[in-house]
Amino acid sequence: MKKTILIVISVFLSACLGCSGSIKTGKNIGTLTFTLGGEVSIINPVLSSDTASSAVEGVIFSGLTKINEDLEIVPDIAKSWTVSADGKTYTFYLRDDVYWHDGEKLTAYDAKFTFDLILDPKVNSVRRGDYIIDGIPIRFEARGPKVLRAMLPKPFAPFLGRVGMGILPKHLLEGKDINTAQFNRAPVGSGPFIFKEWISADRVVVERNPRYFAGAPKIEKIVFKIIPDENARFIALETGQTDVCDIPAKDYKRAKLLKRTNVFEYDSLMYVYLGLNQKREIFSDKKVRQALAYATDKQQLIQLIFNGLASPAYGPMSPVGWTYNDNVEKYDHNVQKAEKLLDEAGWFMGKDGLREKKGKKLEFTILVNQGNKEREKAAVILQWQYKKIGVKANIRVMEWSSLLRILNAKSTEKDFDAVIIGWSLGIDPDSYSIWHSTQYPLGLNFIGYSNRDVDWLLEKGRTTLNRRARKKIYGDIQQIIAEEQPYIFLWYPHSIVAVSDRIGGLSKPGPAGLFVDIEKVYVKENY
Amino acid sequence: MYKHVLKRLVSIIPLLIGVSIISFFVMHLAPGDPTALFVDPSVSPHELARIRSNWGLDHPVHVQYFFWLKNVLRGDLGTAYIINRPVTELIAERIPATLLLMATSLFFILLVSIPLGVLSAYKKGRGLDNIISVLSFLGMSIPSFWLALMLMLLFSVKLGFLPSSGMSDPLLADTSLPGKLADIVRHMVLPVLTMVIIGFAGLTRYIRSGTIEVLGQNYIKAARAKGLSERTVLFKHALRNSLLPVITILGMTIPDLFAGAFIIETIFAWPGMGRLGIGAVFSRNYPLIMGIVFISSLLIILGNLAADVLYSVADPRIRTEGKD
Repeated sequence: MKKTILIVISVFLSACLGCSGSIKTGKNIGTLTFTLGGEVSIINPVLSSDTASSAVEGVIFSGLTKINEDLEIVPDIAKSWTVSADGKTYTFYLRDDVYWHDGEKLTAYDAKFTFDLILDPKVNSVRRGDYIIDGIPIRFEARGPKVLRAMLPKPFAPFLGRVGMGILPKHLLEGKDINTAQFNRAPVGSGPFIFKEWISADRVVVERNPRYFAGAPKIEKIVFKIIPDENARFIALETGQTDVCDIPAKDYKRAKLLKRTNVFEYDSLMYVYLGLNQKREIFSDKKVRQALAYATDKQQLIQLIFNGLASPAYGPMSPVGWTYNDNVEKYDHNVQKAEKLLDEAGWFMGKDGLREKKGKKLEFTILVNQGNKEREKAAVILQWQYKKIGVKANIRVMEWSSLLRILNAKSTEKDFDAVIIGWSLGIDPDSYSIWHSTQYPLGLNFIGYSNRDVDWLLEKGRTTLNRRARKKIYGDIQQIIAEEQPYIFLWYPHSIVAVSDRIGGLSKPGPAGLFVDIEKVYVKENY
Repeated sequence: MYKHVLKRLVSIIPLLIGVSIISFFVMHLAPGDPTALFVDPSVSPHELARIRSNWGLDHPVHVQYFFWLKNVLRGDLGTAYIINRPVTELIAERIPATLLLMATSLFFILLVSIPLGVLSAYKKGRGLDNIISVLSFLGMSIPSFWLALMLMLLFSVKLGFLPSSGMSDPLLADTSLPGKLADIVRHMVLPVLTMVIIGFAGLTRYIRSGTIEVLGQNYIKAARAKGLSERTVLFKHALRNSLLPVITILGMTIPDLFAGAFIIETIFAWPGMGRLGIGAVFSRNYPLIMGIVFISSLLIILGNLAADVLYSVADPRIRTEGKD
């Protein structure tokens, strides 16, 4: 007994003392280490829906198209494509030099197989709805090994943004149950990196694909390290255990002080808002909504919550989106205007400092999800800002699932007044699911917004293929919605990412990230 | 004795069924469902309904329970949602890391708390006892996440001695076996240290009070009167009896060895069971939650049984009383 104790202790001690100075004992030449905050659930682009899995899939798989650093859709496996005059048939011409990591050639049959798989109701893919238009699935057809044809029931502009889905190898998956296939644990793709190893809850390792069709990557290996805790991620960056790390706004200054580290700050495709339930009597009055918009001091919110590291939001489109319209009603902070509007709406200041109308107080409850510190703080600040104009805002902090249950209730009047929540947008401006009146009560238009002009424009925007015409349509939608303020738009969060100085070849900072062309990224030697 | 154990073993079955019924229904009472994770503006509600039905969630809860029970009786704990792998496989791959961390911590906790507890009792009310008591209460009241971060700041950031996260260095994948083992030990130091500082206090207090009680008994007086050295009295005669309650406590810690420690695992990015379990609860991954609940309740029951058996082996008084 005594002996074993001594042995165990001495092993521990020697391990502690044996390491001098640096934490990294292994060689990191040619290796890039990323940190992931969440666990990787499944490495299969058809089945996964979490960001950690997507990050890994991004370097293993290739799609027909991809997004470049300017958020444009550019060729990937497909070298070019044509659209028929009626806008219903897309023909993709595939490259001839694309190989799977196991050496087989990638063909249009693989692409057809992948899209058919997503459309199979037995496959648990949330992406299925992306390939169904008005209830009719898109038909995919391989015309020989190099040509893929997609036949749509009607013109549908967002389609092109949806064919970037990672293509799966037919020869390895045909006839298997994709939901539970071993493939999802040891995937074979056609992208710049080859899957090497996945240790659950710890890391995924991929290695350079020398045969990658867009040029072999310059780095040998990528390690995706899973570190769930935000502070521990920062320490991992500080101590050189990782090269890349997302930085929360609170740590921005600390990150800036780190040596040999570059900190990037850029816009994301997201906005956060206070959604007002339009079916509630007080919010059905536009003047009340506009008054709240005037009473909201966005600069103060951003200063207090993010130390200024976010931008004020005025409408339902991120400023980096290509249809962004800056020429909208902005309701800059103005308490006098807010009070005047409430007076006009018949809500007069009572003796207790609260406005009332026909004996009813101007009072509502803001729902916010537990654990999201930024939104919890925003609720408190808004409560204080609205108090100044005689509006009482209560706050209810709820667990995320309970909050979703209220928002997704099937009843026609959902049981909430207001909610702080955010939307992460895709690169296509289509926002039918958020604003169209048919998306209520079942759908994401949970505030019950209904405007005939917006409905019409949303329908037109989806079926119009001309880019300039679409820019006009979505610009108009932003104007109408910003004027009506069904949401009080709060802020556009910024992404803050710290990258070790030894990493080079990054793309232009933007919503697509810093590693858009991962094959061009390199690690400085002798660092 | 054997009869008694056999009886207890048989009673496990209804106990497990009871636990599973309660947890299954309570789990379904909690709002939200596993598809909630998918919510994003591009996913249609129809698709979520389809996936729910693929997972069998459109059946009434009691029907779902019987499906689950039927599979369990066939030795199948089901397939986890989203991850799409068998629950048993998911649990099995986390057990080595968890067991390693938890058992090592327990070993060091015992190593620290037994001498401290005995000394504290021996010097009851005096300086050393007070110091040990203050330290124990300090250990008990420090929040583990804070302590973990402070240790990381000291040993990883300031001194640069030890790695702060994970179980092994990905860059050492090609080293020899001893090199790999040393690497794992290096990764273990900080989490184990945290767990020992947080965990030694409770056991120290138990051993202290047990020893105080024993030291007051007549046979200790007799031993001292025989002229035995204080050392022999304390560590040979007193310790044995004062350790009896510790057996019970250890029996109850057996399930913890497998359950892991969520906060420690999260901060140190240790790939253990705690993270798997909490992750399953947050994502409402029903089959995974049930699998973990099922296995932990089995371990709790077996742990208690083991404690009882060991206790009666160690203490003849209990053995005779147990004879019926």
